Amino acid sequence: MILATECDVANEVICAPADVTELFEFPTIFTIGGLEFSRTHILMLLAAFVAVAILYFGLRGQRLVPTKFGAAVEGLVGFVRDGIARDVIGPEGTKYVPYLMAMFFFLLVGNLFEITPLINFPITSRMAIPAFLALVTYVIFMFVGFAKNNFRFLIDTAWPKTVPIGLRWLVGLIEVFSVFLLRPLTLAVRLFANMVAGHLMLTLLLTSGVIFIAAIPEIGLKGSIGVFWFGLGLFMFLLEILIGVLQAYIFTLLTAIYIESSIHFEH
Amino acid sequence: MEGNIEELRGALALIGYGLGAVGPGIGIGIVAGNAITAMARQPEMQGTIRTTMFLGIALTEALALIGFVLFFIASG
Repeated sequence: MILATECDVANEVICAPADVTELFEFPTIFTIGGLEFSRTHILMLLAAFVAVAILYFGLRGQRLVPTKFGAAVEGLVGFVRDGIARDVIGPEGTKYVPYLMAMFFFLLVGNLFEITPLINFPITSRMAIPAFLALVTYVIFMFVGFAKNNFRFLIDTAWPKTVPIGLRWLVGLIEVFSVFLLRPLTLAVRLFANMVAGHLMLTLLLTSGVIFIAAIPEIGLKGSIGVFWFGLGLFMFLLEILIGVLQAYIFTLLTAIYIESSIHFEH
Repeated sequence: MEGNIEELRGALALIGYGLGAVGPGIGIGIVAGNAITAMARQPEMQGTIRTTMFLGIALTEALALIGFVLFFIASG
């Protein structure tokens, strides 16, 4: 990093961090049989647990009049089932509801960890998690594509019959590249980069705001810039709620769209 | 000389990200603007249009985000 010059902690008010990764990498807490557990792993398990708990306590016991919490969870479940699976994929979409639902709730909880007090770390800002979810999605829509259309899935993608012969090789090349390589990559990178950007922005704005305000006795009125940073940080905090929910929705929506494009491959 | 080039890497990565953000910026503007026009013309189609708009934004935004990731890799 360009700012990482020597910084004397005793004299300088604010020091640039030596490396940006210290915001995202945590030391190992304990080891079980060669698996190293850090804070990220524990948060990941917690996210899965919270997602299951929300569904369990929200939908426990069928009542005539659901509780407020139950109604909210039912709304979310209905949104994934009707708004994403059935709207996008069609009647066959019901088969994929469990997968989409699990992913949506896990990502929702994982993304919202970013703005949860005392946790403040979006687990999806570690590439392994979005990458693995994107890989599972990739395997599913590849499997569905080849199972429903045999090898026409590959051949017709590479050699689209509806395109004029002169351009067919170029369109085929672009299509193969985008369907088989770029789709899983952008799916993972989109979520990952959004969460990294949000986490960086929140950390920088809120901590620098606090540091500047705390330094007002030492550096005088110059430190009042911290009020502005802190205010901007609070605004970003609200925006991150929107982004966290939106990214979970978009990841699920794109998964459904990719599955749909494999099922209804002809048109 | 060596140190100067090292310092320039971060600046060049920053310029690269700035250039990479121009295209998606224009693209997202077009997507959102046209979605607003469509919603104003046919308010009853709002739900569908909003879903499609988010999809279009997400696909366009991916380019800027790849640039953002490459910025960290290049400036590393």
